[in-house]
Amino acid sequence: MFLQVLPDGGWAYVLSVVIVSLYVSVTAVGLSTLVSLPVALVLGFTDFPGKRVVTAVVNTGMGFPSVVVGLVVLMAISNSGPLGSLDLAFTPTAMIASQFVLATPVIMSISLSAVEGVGQPVRDAAYAMGGTKADVGLVVIKEARYGIVTAVLAGFGRAISEVGSILIVGGNIVYSDGQSYTRTLTTAITVEARQGRYEIGLVLGAILLVLVLGINGLGSWLRSKGRGRGAS
Amino acid sequence: MTLRASGVSVAFDGQSVLEDVTLGVDPGEVLTVVGPSGTGKTTLLRALAMFQRPDDGTVEWTGDDVWALPDEDRLAVRRRLSMVFQEPSLFNARVAENVGYGLRIRRSWRDRIGERLRTLLGNSSVPESVHDSLETVGLTEKAEQNALALSGGEAQRVAFARALAVDPTVVLLDEPTSNLDPRNTAVLENAVDRARDRGVGVVVATHDMHQARRLSDRVAFLYDGTVVESGPPEQVFEDPEDWRTAAFVAGELLYESDSGRPMAAQSP
Repeated sequence: MFLQVLPDGGWAYVLSVVIVSLYVSVTAVGLSTLVSLPVALVLGFTDFPGKRVVTAVVNTGMGFPSVVVGLVVLMAISNSGPLGSLDLAFTPTAMIASQFVLATPVIMSISLSAVEGVGQPVRDAAYAMGGTKADVGLVVIKEARYGIVTAVLAGFGRAISEVGSILIVGGNIVYSDGQSYTRTLTTAITVEARQGRYEIGLVLGAILLVLVLGINGLGSWLRSKGRGRGAS
Repeated sequence: MTLRASGVSVAFDGQSVLEDVTLGVDPGEVLTVVGPSGTGKTTLLRALAMFQRPDDGTVEWTGDDVWALPDEDRLAVRRRLSMVFQEPSLFNARVAENVGYGLRIRRSWRDRIGERLRTLLGNSSVPESVHDSLETVGLTEKAEQNALALSGGEAQRVAFARALAVDPTVVLLDEPTSNLDPRNTAVLENAVDRARDRGVGVVVATHDMHQARRLSDRVAFLYDGTVVESGPPEQVFEDPEDWRTAAFVAGELLYESDSGRPMAAQSP
């Protein structure tokens, strides 16, 4: 009964869209975390001239308009762009690149505030017990763990619900058999709505909502576990 | 002296905080550093704990200048010490994990990873010294509780247990009971006594004269970054040689005038 909500082949199409969405967003967030975390730790541990400017730039990046990011990434990977030879335009890899740019400031900024939220007294306690710099660093990461995971979840939330840039760099393409190539949950909803196929649009929207709500719920739970220390 | 500050001077932004301070502690004795707030007690303890290198003078461990030692040797010396701060600064983890922290970081990375895996598999055990330290401060029943859920007094007792668990030669205590109620203060002072009986040297920075009388084998009176008097407690408290010590012991308000001269006034 429930499965009959969609026309024939509808569920296979929805499944392919979900798989592309998750593949693109999980990969982008994974790569972004690998870059963001070390930078956040270095920024949180060191003091250098211009640190405030760097931090301000990272924070500003959280507000990047996604369509502008998409435009810049497309210019970079188009045939006439500096990365044109890689032939990445309108591929999932291009979508990963644009989501990476969008998620990185979010993950970096929230991780940085989590690391900075671990006060000097805790670092002093680790040092006073005979800790090396590496030991003190590990204590800070451990104390900030809930905040860091929250940062990754926030980055994933930003990536999975983003539409502008992946529409530009991905092209919202499906194969001839109707399966998704670069069509994600968000870009598929725009197409289904435009074509009046509201039932598929609603199913896609419900899946997206469940994903975003799940991420937010997990984030809230982790923040309560962190009890304020290091959790942003 | 096992741990000794010799002619130590420290300044921050050109402002002198410690000036030519010489004092030390041996295993099995309690040295209290008393004096008004802002007189350099914390800076002295942090210099002894090697948080910072003195601008002048030396911090010595069994006669060696610790800052002249190679990094590895200085780390080995730091690991013969532990320090407790005015705020407990516990980690967001179980009490037993907090107390075992110093032991853990003294192990090889391989052992530490193995222990972490055993903990994740629910197959970890509390080391004997962690249990003994918690027993010393009367908190064995709290071993599995999250440390951040403890009261302020219990947290400070756990911080002291954490310092004791590594079997240190010297423990440095910076105003350890200033935020505690009488019961927790008594438990902590009793634990200090037991540590001394086990041969641990203890340096306590405090502005509480009564605590200094109860705990001390020797007392140093620090005023304006300088040790103005030191000796056995009966001498410093009953028959002080310096008028500033006498004023402080008598409970008078000791302060600097606008011209920088030390002044004493009767409490109202």
